[in-house]
Amino acid sequence: MKNNNIKLLTLASLLAVGSLQIGCKKNFTDPSRATEDQVFSSPKGLTGVAVGLQRVYALGRASTLYNLITINGLTTNELFVVNAGNTAELQLGTGGNLVDGNNSMLTTFWTTCNKVIYDADLVISNAKLLGDKNYASGLIAYASIFKALSIGDMAQFWEKVPNGIGTNVTFIDRVDGFKKAITVLDEAIAAVSANAISASFSSSIPAGIDISNTLNALKARYSLYAGLYSQALAAANLVDITKKSTFNFDALSLNPVFETATSTNNVVQPKDSTLGLVPALAPALNDGRILFHTSINPTIAPRYRINGFYSGATTAIPVYLPGEITLIKAECLARGNDSTNSKIFLNAVITKTAGADPFAVGANQPAINSFGSYAVLLDEIYKQRCIELFMSGQKLEDMRRFGRPNAERKRNLMPYPLRERDNNPNTPADPAF
Amino acid sequence: MMNYILKKLGHLKVLGLFVLLNFLALTVVSQVRISGKVTDTKGNGLAGVSVTVKNDNTGASTQADGTYQFTANLKPGKHSIVFTAVGLKSTEQSITVAGGSDYMVNAQLAADPLGLDEVVVTGTSTGTTKKQLGSYVSTVKADQLNKGATSNILAALQGKTAGAQITQNSGDPSGGISVRLRGISSISSSSEPLYIVDGVIINNATTRVTNTSGNYDGQNFVGAIGQNRMADINPADIERIEVLNGAAAAAIYGSRANAGVVQIFTKRGSAGAPVVSFSSSVMFSKLRKSVEVNQSPTKFGGPTDGAGAQTQDILTPALTNTTAVNRYNYNDYIFRNAVGTDNNVSVAGGKDKTKYYASGSYYKNEGIIKNTDYRRYSFRVNLDQALGNKVNFNIGLNYINSFSNEKPDGNSFFSPMNSINIIGNFHDLFTRDALGNIKAIGERGRVNPVSIIEDIKQQQETNRLIAGMGLKVRPMKGLTIDYMMGIDQYSQRGQTFIPPFAYNVSTGFFGGGVSLDPTLNGYASAATNNFFQINNELNGTYQFNINSDIASTTQVGYSVQYEKNSYILSQGRGMAPFVQTVNGASTLIQGADERSELSVSGYYAQQNFKYKNLIFLTGAIRVDGSSVFGKDQRNQKYAKASGSYVISEHKFWQDMALSKYWNFAKIRLAYGESGNLTGIGAYSRFNAYSSNSFISRTALSSSSTLANTNVKPERQKELEFGVELGFLGNRVNLIANIYNKKVSDLLINRFIAPTTGFSSLLDNFGNLENKGFELMLTGRPIQNKDMSWTITGIYNHNRNKAGKIGQALTLLSTNAGAPVSIIEGQPIGVFYGAYFAKDANGNWVKNASGFPQGERGIQTGALAYSVTRDANGLPITSNPLVRTIIGDPNPDYTATLTNEFTYKKASLRIQIDAVKGNEVFNADWRTRQGVGNGKEAEKEQTGVYPRGYINSFYGTIEEWRIDDGSFVKLREISLSYSLGKVKWFRDVTASITGRNLKSWDHYKGYDPEVNSGGQSNILRGIDFGSVPIPKTFSIGLSAKF
Repeated sequence: MKNNNIKLLTLASLLAVGSLQIGCKKNFTDPSRATEDQVFSSPKGLTGVAVGLQRVYALGRASTLYNLITINGLTTNELFVVNAGNTAELQLGTGGNLVDGNNSMLTTFWTTCNKVIYDADLVISNAKLLGDKNYASGLIAYASIFKALSIGDMAQFWEKVPNGIGTNVTFIDRVDGFKKAITVLDEAIAAVSANAISASFSSSIPAGIDISNTLNALKARYSLYAGLYSQALAAANLVDITKKSTFNFDALSLNPVFETATSTNNVVQPKDSTLGLVPALAPALNDGRILFHTSINPTIAPRYRINGFYSGATTAIPVYLPGEITLIKAECLARGNDSTNSKIFLNAVITKTAGADPFAVGANQPAINSFGSYAVLLDEIYKQRCIELFMSGQKLEDMRRFGRPNAERKRNLMPYPLRERDNNPNTPADPAF
Repeated sequence: MMNYILKKLGHLKVLGLFVLLNFLALTVVSQVRISGKVTDTKGNGLAGVSVTVKNDNTGASTQADGTYQFTANLKPGKHSIVFTAVGLKSTEQSITVAGGSDYMVNAQLAADPLGLDEVVVTGTSTGTTKKQLGSYVSTVKADQLNKGATSNILAALQGKTAGAQITQNSGDPSGGISVRLRGISSISSSSEPLYIVDGVIINNATTRVTNTSGNYDGQNFVGAIGQNRMADINPADIERIEVLNGAAAAAIYGSRANAGVVQIFTKRGSAGAPVVSFSSSVMFSKLRKSVEVNQSPTKFGGPTDGAGAQTQDILTPALTNTTAVNRYNYNDYIFRNAVGTDNNVSVAGGKDKTKYYASGSYYKNEGIIKNTDYRRYSFRVNLDQALGNKVNFNIGLNYINSFSNEKPDGNSFFSPMNSINIIGNFHDLFTRDALGNIKAIGERGRVNPVSIIEDIKQQQETNRLIAGMGLKVRPMKGLTIDYMMGIDQYSQRGQTFIPPFAYNVSTGFFGGGVSLDPTLNGYASAATNNFFQINNELNGTYQFNINSDIASTTQVGYSVQYEKNSYILSQGRGMAPFVQTVNGASTLIQGADERSELSVSGYYAQQNFKYKNLIFLTGAIRVDGSSVFGKDQRNQKYAKASGSYVISEHKFWQDMALSKYWNFAKIRLAYGESGNLTGIGAYSRFNAYSSNSFISRTALSSSSTLANTNVKPERQKELEFGVELGFLGNRVNLIANIYNKKVSDLLINRFIAPTTGFSSLLDNFGNLENKGFELMLTGRPIQNKDMSWTITGIYNHNRNKAGKIGQALTLLSTNAGAPVSIIEGQPIGVFYGAYFAKDANGNWVKNASGFPQGERGIQTGALAYSVTRDANGLPITSNPLVRTIIGDPNPDYTATLTNEFTYKKASLRIQIDAVKGNEVFNADWRTRQGVGNGKEAEKEQTGVYPRGYINSFYGTIEEWRIDDGSFVKLREISLSYSLGKVKWFRDVTASITGRNLKSWDHYKGYDPEVNSGGQSNILRGIDFGSVPIPKTFSIGLSAKF
């Protein structure tokens, strides 16, 4: 190679390398999202994530709430599938081994429950670090509601529930799941009693949820499911049943059941006026709650349509019903062999008029003076729960607790989503039914 | 002070003069005039042949009669004059400059069917002949592109290049087109090749500015639907396209080229009198094939509309009473015969050192769906200016404006196609109520197709400017430095107006429900997407001869690219009548404001040695970095090497008797690495919280995807081996390539256990492999003065396989319900689901009711299961359905057969494309049976099938939706006649062209070629409301003066 060439090559190389100095910026930040550090170090950020919990829990077809109500309703005969093209709904409505780990509704439900728990854990642990303890207690209590609901909701469908969040998490028995939810609620109750929730926090979250009453109501619910009757009764007694606690919606954030099912008449609808109960337990035709929970379309099929808490785009969905609290009391007393007092609470629900209920749920039926046997009393409590709490996602648990035969339901417990099984060796075996 | 400065300046001037004098002293040049004539082997003058002085800048193109002349400043001594033209063998003639001022150089150029002497610039900056290339680059010329009655450059490229599978995903007039060179090279990002127009990297993204609301597709994964931006490029401006299939040859384009490169060169001017060319054509399109509709005189259950309406009777087996109905064919309503026009005019010319090409184009085409169309204006100016002998400057500007009237796309139930797929064909669409409003369809809140065709307005407009500037300097013999800067800037604007419905339409379709809720009824949106990209490339090339046999080319280069995107969406529902903008909405829906920026930079060095004309070796190394990856993973090194050996250049070969029959043989081998530098989104490596409005508060939510900040680019390694053979004096040519393309560190957004708090993890898992071969066989059975016949056959075989993706099965939930999956050891995107139990003869097993049964048993793995049957051979119903691969959208092979005939002034070109062995998930076909407008539904309603037959497996057996996607299409047929000179016009040519006129297939839908997943990598072969590709006739005239 001639010297000249080498010189020129060097020159050309230098020129090319020299232009490296023009450089190019490579550190761009995303203006449309907030980093974890930013979010969890400020009350504003924590509040945003806490509100996000309610959004994930309650908004849209992918929400925990929609799936809770629909999976439960289809499994327990409350609902039927209007259009067989809705594959996941159809599988649940058919039941048995057609419901498998691929079912997209179960997968979605499992995913949102765990997502809420993941973010709730971060809110709760970081809220404890805040200086403003009254604001922090609000964050803890509000986030704990969604965490407890998510654990409790999973414990209703699965034999074992994950023991926390993480890689290859282990599983605990579903009853321990309810107890875990109670622990979350207890910690929240303790935080609120130590430092009252500040007004500035209350105004930072969507209106609707009555935090204190909800904590006790959920504690009562899960204590009942865990068989801790006296604890359930004590918690139920702390709930002010004249107050409402609701998931609210507006024209932008629609009621998920209305948006998906009611307004389309294409997904699910109530079976009929029995509200999915066997004939022996079906509500009287003049039970005021039938026409609260359903409406009748005389001309276009199906005849019975979703009504009640899913009748409109912005209809609020109760977190729990006052009637549920009264029935918890009735059941705890009955199971504690106090039939006399149990009857009083049971009849309070049976005779309740719409006007006397904050949500206008009223059976307005004659009181029952004698139940004959303990078994009949329990059956009546079950019946009243099924009618009062129609489409509130609690019936599968009731069916098992009251020993209803498997033939009355499409599944007893759900198979674990394959997304969990494929990626977590600790996933328990699927139940046969 | 002032004086001092002047003095200083004076010094500088003196210094400058001194330097200049030095240069002059070194290079005493004289001005010479070079002229001559270039002819073909028959002695006819050849126009448009480029004549240049080797290693110099000067030159000219030949005139229509083949003559040329130019002046050059040349040092005394020997110089080479190079003659090149597309499709002809290049040649060199030497002259010796010695005092004289006029030199005559004539040349004769032979045809070069293999294109071996064709100059290819893809992969190099200064160009090299195909003969030297160690990897396969195909060239498609203008005359092959303009015979297909399409104004989309990618559609025009269908079947013209080996190794490419080009699919038109929608029959909309500007429907998206995907290009896959040697299969899919990524899962999580696009597998589209890198597109370069005259050195400017251009964007081919699919960004939806219409169909923007999640409601359109149920918030589901739908792929990449809609126009992709190559639709903006006007094929009439194109001179040629070079397609580079693999990573092996792509070092110069760096890591963005891991899915191959499509480099487009537009026409440029040549010295001589201005030539005005124009062409005009009229197109007629219509539906190629419709589907048969149900003709049963009755349906099950009650009336079709109004009180007691009961639709989807097929899926409600409890209904056994029947109602007489009228049957309609809604296809007649939504489709039409469409008309379009394509007009182009250009002026090209130049004098001495200035050359120009300027063009204008107007294209408009109606869609076969009523009230849809696409219109495009395009203007282009290319200017080449030589600045002295050593510097060349060029600039190219292309402005495009396109506008389309659209309808909602296929993935929604209020698209034209799906609106007729989702209803029984027994509704009278046109009945009106007392107020003159059209009425509801059945009881389910479906949208009346009349509302979609007449009332829903959806429009999209794009303004785009592509500008490029290049500077080429030849400071001394053998050295070339070129610099290129290109900008691609466009803005897309989309708008939608769905007026409030006067009847019950589901709120999910932006209706107001039964109550016509005014806060929900109707929808409007406006979205804009602004894209800006700039690329800077600096390359230095030095060529010299080491000795008389060995030549060296050394190349170094540096490039920087930056792109910025911003997307804004505003939308609302609950429309006030007549107000079509979002302002009219009573309920604003969450909008979007998304911004991203990214940059990529890299540098490389490449060394090439050439031994005689026998052996060519190239090696290169490249370092690239991208801002989308974290600091530690940012800069990646990629190596490549290739070699080719032209055996037939050996003397012994040429002396062999065999060489009379076998005149050319070349083998080549190439290895190349590349990465996918834009493989993830600009900020995808961060874990962050996004915000949404929720009941008047701000809600922050973590992503469903867990990101790994240390994620790295995918790495692709490709090995390619090829042979190029010529027989009978190149009457028969064969090109064969075999390749193995492996992607490691494959980026997958993989499902993880939801108990981690996330649904998926974006990380480098596993690998992907594409193995295959490409064959291109060309024969010229007749080749004489009056008549010629050329046959070209292309055969592409590609096998795609996902390896070690970390989990046995990833099943995606898709909008169309297509069970698309990624399974270890299987091709990407196979359909996975339950299937029918079959007997020994392959017939469906039926139970006592006459219902087919799904196969059942115990599933032990993604593809492992044991089947359980009872004594009667029926699946045991207490066991669950078993699942396996039920279909594969990847074809066994794709092939093209092209026949070109010329007889005197007439020419005929026929191109047949085949895609074989692939399956389509025909979601629409099943829907038509479920809602009762299909032929299977007719069989149940007329008693051929037992009642409840369809419903018994409708929701459970996915295999029912698998359809045969193989087809053979008469892709292009073109007959043209050259009228020659007519009055003052010359080269007058009239032509009749047809496109997609006929398809031979067994597909049960309209068109097996479309894909409702659009340009998605993973969602392929899904038919869910996609508009079928029309058949098109075109009549055109072109001329010059």
